[in-house]
Amino acid sequence: MRLSNKVVFITDAGSESGRALSLRLAQDGAHLVLNSKANDAGIPNLAQACRAFGSQVVVVRADLRHRASIAGVLEQVSGQLGFIDILLHNNSSHERASVEDGSEDGFLRVLRENAKTAFCCTQAIGGQMADRGSGTVLYLGSIHAEKPSGAAFSYSVSQGAIQMLAQEAALFLGRHGVQVNYLQLGPMDDADRMFGSTISALYDNYRRKIPGGAVGTYDELASIISFLGTGEARCLNGACLRLDGGFLLHYMDHKMAKPVGEEDSKT
Amino acid sequence: MSLSGKTAIVTGAGTGIGKGIALALAARGTKVSVHYNASEAGALDTCKQIEASGGECLLIQADVSKEQDIRRMVDAAAAHWGGIDILVNNAALQLNQDWRDYTEDQFEQVMATNLKGYWQCMQAVIPYMKVSKSGRIILISSIHAKRPTDFDVVYAMTKGGIKMLGRESAIELAQYGITVNTVEPGAVDVGKYRQSHRAPDRRKFPLGRVGLPADVASLVCYLASEESSFMTGTAIRLDGAGMLM
Repeated sequence: MRLSNKVVFITDAGSESGRALSLRLAQDGAHLVLNSKANDAGIPNLAQACRAFGSQVVVVRADLRHRASIAGVLEQVSGQLGFIDILLHNNSSHERASVEDGSEDGFLRVLRENAKTAFCCTQAIGGQMADRGSGTVLYLGSIHAEKPSGAAFSYSVSQGAIQMLAQEAALFLGRHGVQVNYLQLGPMDDADRMFGSTISALYDNYRRKIPGGAVGTYDELASIISFLGTGEARCLNGACLRLDGGFLLHYMDHKMAKPVGEEDSKT
Repeated sequence: MSLSGKTAIVTGAGTGIGKGIALALAARGTKVSVHYNASEAGALDTCKQIEASGGECLLIQADVSKEQDIRRMVDAAAAHWGGIDILVNNAALQLNQDWRDYTEDQFEQVMATNLKGYWQCMQAVIPYMKVSKSGRIILISSIHAKRPTDFDVVYAMTKGGIKMLGRESAIELAQYGITVNTVEPGAVDVGKYRQSHRAPDRRKFPLGRVGLPADVASLVCYLASEESSFMTGTAIRLDGAGMLM
């Protein structure tokens, strides 16, 4: 198995992406540290499903906005699973808000839950990897680190910040043998609910703007993560990988595919 | 390029690039609100130079990491000049702290000043620009929105965030006739540079020099003028091709 005995730390493991990642990596032989919020009722079942693949699983509840909280969890985990080989930063807090009317509380919440957790995880877990001279850090981000949505400005700002964090970390962790990359996820099934906007037509009929006609799935993402987790592609460092099926390349709407049975719609 | 009769706020106008921008706008006829936080002597000097040249200015102290201070600054400037045509977000913190040593407080402080402050200054001027159905917002960012700093990770994160703040606000505020553009300077000689660097290597700086505040200021004046009315949502690298080397 390609990830046999690798220890993977997954943030926001109870999210849809976190579940898909956990199950796939467990299948591939990894042991898992699942971090989630205290009220996440689905975690025990997820942990059980992962253990069924033979994976050792530890469930933790670190507050990733604070380095000390992460350090405490790492100490707890090291006795059970050893050191972390792969960090998957999977936090993706989102708020529909405009530049004009957004609230300070909302802005800070999104910045802290996305960018600050990414930074604190990098310091604590990436730091441990640097001390050992190996590891893989992957930030699961968004195309909105580059493309504005007109729907969730603080989310885009937070992703722009994490993308630069990834490039910085590719240097300061890369010098210690740690591989760091940022993934720009494209549209998933609920993309128009999250990013549909009266300001931008980007998500109008968004499915047909993907040349292949199919939105991404978390299983596909998990498959890519599984490969990146092997560390086989050492030259891939500091990269921003766009996983959107070519969505952002669309230009001429009338040339886009029209899936059978789908009508024109306006968000 | 005349900016006669326009009114502007320039944050961080007591030193370096901000000072250069305030002086250049004033020299073209703009009435400038000269903002500072801690650099009072520098800001007073900026005002002195503007007034000596026959320009008009207003000195305002504010901590741009605090929303309340920002509102007070913007309201005072608007009341004094009768509106706001131009906002230049420039005030920023760069701690040059090693990534391992960054404390949570420092992280919060840099984010609050460089990112939240830029957004809230913008948010505060929108009502005034909506009244006049036009406005120019210019974000002074850095080449480090495009390439790592390798000495201050959080500073670079804020510049990555500003890139997206500029893009999001450009598409959102276009409906009000407000344009938003970002300037990304490379190395700029603000005094300290001269003390710590030898003559620039042409294989790193093809023009044989680093930038000056006046270089940034002349681009800002263009972006603040009517001549740039179709330009919005851009981020202009201003580094003498340094990034290409």
